[in-house]
Amino acid sequence: MRTKDRVKSQDQHILNLAEIVGGSRSILYQKEDLLAYDCDGFTIHKHLPKAVVFPKNTQEVAEIVKYCSENNLPFLARGAGTGLSGGAIPLNGEIIISMVRMKKLISVDLENRRAVVEPGFVNLKLTNSISDKGYYYAPDPSSQYCCTIGGNVAENAGGAHCLKYGVTTNHILGLEVVMPNGEIVEIGKDGIPDAPGYDLLGLITGSEGTLGIVTKITVRVLKNPEGKQTVLAYFDRVEDGSQAVSDIISAGIVPAALEMMDKTAIEGVEAAAFPVGHPKDIEAVLLIEVDGIAAGIGEQIDQILEVCRKRNVREVRAAGSEEERARWWANRKTGFGAMGAISPDYLVQDGVIPRSKLPEVLSRISQISGESGLRIANIFHAGDGNLHPLVLFDARIPGESEKALEAGSQCLKVCADVGGTITGEHGVGIEKREEMRFVFTEEEIAAQTEIREVFNPHNLLNAGKLFPSPSRCAEVKKEMKAQAIS
Amino acid sequence: MIAAESISALKTYFREDQISKNEVSSPFGNSGEMIILPETENEIAAALKHADLNGLTINIMGGGTKRGFGGLNEKADLLLSLEKYTGIVEHTPGDMTVTVRSGIRFKDLQDYLAKHNQKISLDPFWPQNATIGGIIAANESGPKRLGYGSARDAVIGLRTVYPDGKIIRSGGRVVKNVAGYDMNKLFIGSMGTLGVISEITLKLRPIPKCESLVLVSFPAGNLEDIKAFAVKVLDSMIEPVSLELLNPSLSDRLAGINSYTIAMSFEDVESSVRYQETFVGNMLPKDAKLSISTKEKADLFWERFYRHIPNGADKDLPIQTEASMKIGTVNLDAVRVLKDTDLLQDKFNVKIESHGGLGHGLSQVTIRGAEPDVADAAVHVRETAERAGGYAVAKHLPFELRKKVDVWGNKPSHFFLLQGIKTKVDPNKTLSPNRFIGGI
Repeated sequence: MRTKDRVKSQDQHILNLAEIVGGSRSILYQKEDLLAYDCDGFTIHKHLPKAVVFPKNTQEVAEIVKYCSENNLPFLARGAGTGLSGGAIPLNGEIIISMVRMKKLISVDLENRRAVVEPGFVNLKLTNSISDKGYYYAPDPSSQYCCTIGGNVAENAGGAHCLKYGVTTNHILGLEVVMPNGEIVEIGKDGIPDAPGYDLLGLITGSEGTLGIVTKITVRVLKNPEGKQTVLAYFDRVEDGSQAVSDIISAGIVPAALEMMDKTAIEGVEAAAFPVGHPKDIEAVLLIEVDGIAAGIGEQIDQILEVCRKRNVREVRAAGSEEERARWWANRKTGFGAMGAISPDYLVQDGVIPRSKLPEVLSRISQISGESGLRIANIFHAGDGNLHPLVLFDARIPGESEKALEAGSQCLKVCADVGGTITGEHGVGIEKREEMRFVFTEEEIAAQTEIREVFNPHNLLNAGKLFPSPSRCAEVKKEMKAQAIS
Repeated sequence: MIAAESISALKTYFREDQISKNEVSSPFGNSGEMIILPETENEIAAALKHADLNGLTINIMGGGTKRGFGGLNEKADLLLSLEKYTGIVEHTPGDMTVTVRSGIRFKDLQDYLAKHNQKISLDPFWPQNATIGGIIAANESGPKRLGYGSARDAVIGLRTVYPDGKIIRSGGRVVKNVAGYDMNKLFIGSMGTLGVISEITLKLRPIPKCESLVLVSFPAGNLEDIKAFAVKVLDSMIEPVSLELLNPSLSDRLAGINSYTIAMSFEDVESSVRYQETFVGNMLPKDAKLSISTKEKADLFWERFYRHIPNGADKDLPIQTEASMKIGTVNLDAVRVLKDTDLLQDKFNVKIESHGGLGHGLSQVTIRGAEPDVADAAVHVRETAERAGGYAVAKHLPFELRKKVDVWGNKPSHFFLLQGIKTKVDPNKTLSPNRFIGGI
């Protein structure tokens, strides 16, 4: 943060925006300061913002938005910048409205199981603030130690435990939103369910910051389950591992989490910061967690062990201690970053498939890997069919980045072709705009942009995200990706 | 009246037995001059497109259970009945998802899924009559919403026929999906004002291995005792699927207990269910009474429960006028809502049966009595809800009473957004005109 008090800019807009947020400590406008904001967790595409402002409250956000709207300045909101699809990249030289100073936990009402937070409040902090009373906030994206709840709402973030508990949208009870014209709107007052009218709460959640800027969030908090047990299972064949996933679900068990990693992913996590000693020669590892009433857990664990044995598991065991369980999870949750240990670069994809297609999709991904000559590691939320193929590449080798992007896109095509979708929790952002056509017709995309027009009629708020441009041919698309990489 | 040319044009899309003049009128309105019975999505699209191009209006009907829910026009030009548009499109047990046509009746669908040991986690009223399409369009839920979630948690994909006849898919067939806007949410609870939902994909849950019903009744009727008990339950580690407070008259009708009663339902493996029953027994407040039902008795209780509110599919009005109000408040304020609305019984000489979810904040108050008394009481139910910081919606009123009692209450300050959405999707106001909030 700059500490000089005077804003030294010739640009009247910068001066006016600085005035709204109260001076130079709350605005960045010089190139060297703006560089940190030219991308988010999706680093392939970069663009400098015009300025970054740091409002302290809803009123300031509304004034900034109103100013931008009246002066035809494009703008967007940004949380911690951990998004993986480029939703917070200022493609059009936007004014970035950073929500990080709006980070208060406003209130907690455990009797009614709700909490109110400002958008910059960090996901994990909420659970940490209420865990001594036995409560937690369920959505747990891997970046939860630093990502903000406002960002989670924009992306409808998921996590490892959404198989049983649902994603962000299932836990949002109310929102205060600054509309693109600066008007402040309250939806789902006090977190009361089913407010009369269309479900704007559901529509805004996951709209990737294109319908409004969320300034206050009422979330549902849950009571910690009484008991919890985690099982680790090693398989010599991927098919057996996937079949075990289906069998567990068919047995009527709803695990809190059901995660899978393949051989390449295991190589990565074992070479990185949190190795747990997975054997190097196995094809798949399953991490299965059951929670609920303690008296009922043992019965479900026995059933899971039996299912795994029927599917030729090499080794299966329940965690012996909370410490062991935590190590298994740290190993899994840092899985993406771990790829850095075995490859100079990697690209994360985020397809979803019907669970029953798992073996078929895995074999087609392996084909794509063979054809492209790039290794692909697979980490996935197997219980809900959410695959994260990680394409490993070396950006220093000419042409390899393009190949990686193409392989990633092909993986998504496979997911779409078997009746799945192109993103389960990372969002479309910039990254998967064109891939939207794998799952939606032109008419269906238009139905969505029509809704955007109701909220964001001049498209000044986070323009160019989520939707493909109306008639971009494949050639232009390729060129764009090439530019993006260079 | 619809022009004769319009009728003959419509007849080119439908067989004789699919289109006819509607001779039956319903005391609940939401009817149509002509009744059309489409059997395919294309037929639905043809009817909508024709109406939209020719300035006709359409009401949509599934099982008819919600005909008393909203709507200020007794008849539109056409009544699109989905009773023949039924069946299961795809069920993949291993994926725990099912895709169905919207006209399938809820109980038929659950009975089919039960053969695969699966179910939809929703507990709507009148399951024998209500169609899945109607349940989703009205966002109907019951006491087990606490454990199950609501329609917005169960629906993962929709096919919706827009007024101009185009088919718009939203969501998909996978349980996790953030591609584009979550358009499913727009249609859930939209009361048929945006499109006709033709196909619905839902996520399923396994049928629990064991179920039980625990009734805790409070003969002294002390509000603070009830609330304190609920707080204790919610703060414990037990996981009731319902924590529903019944007022004395509803409790009397369903269980023969004439006092405030909390109905707690447990669904899990047997060891867990038994453990939770014992746990509740051990935390029972002084003077409260406990009764634990076996699955058979519990089933009977719930069956009666889901039939206790008025049914809009009835052909005639009952002798006593009936109204049902849905109330939303902060969770635990449901206690106060039930207690305060009970006081209206003597004041207006009406009978009230009510229940409220102490873990989800939705209550429902059913009023029976002479018409003017019911109307007055309904207005006061809304006042009670608003005093508690919540809202009230009239879920069931005879058509005539809907002219006197505002169904939806005041428009929210963000009404311009609701209006804007309606105008984009249905600019000619072809579908379900005036059925929804603010005349949408």
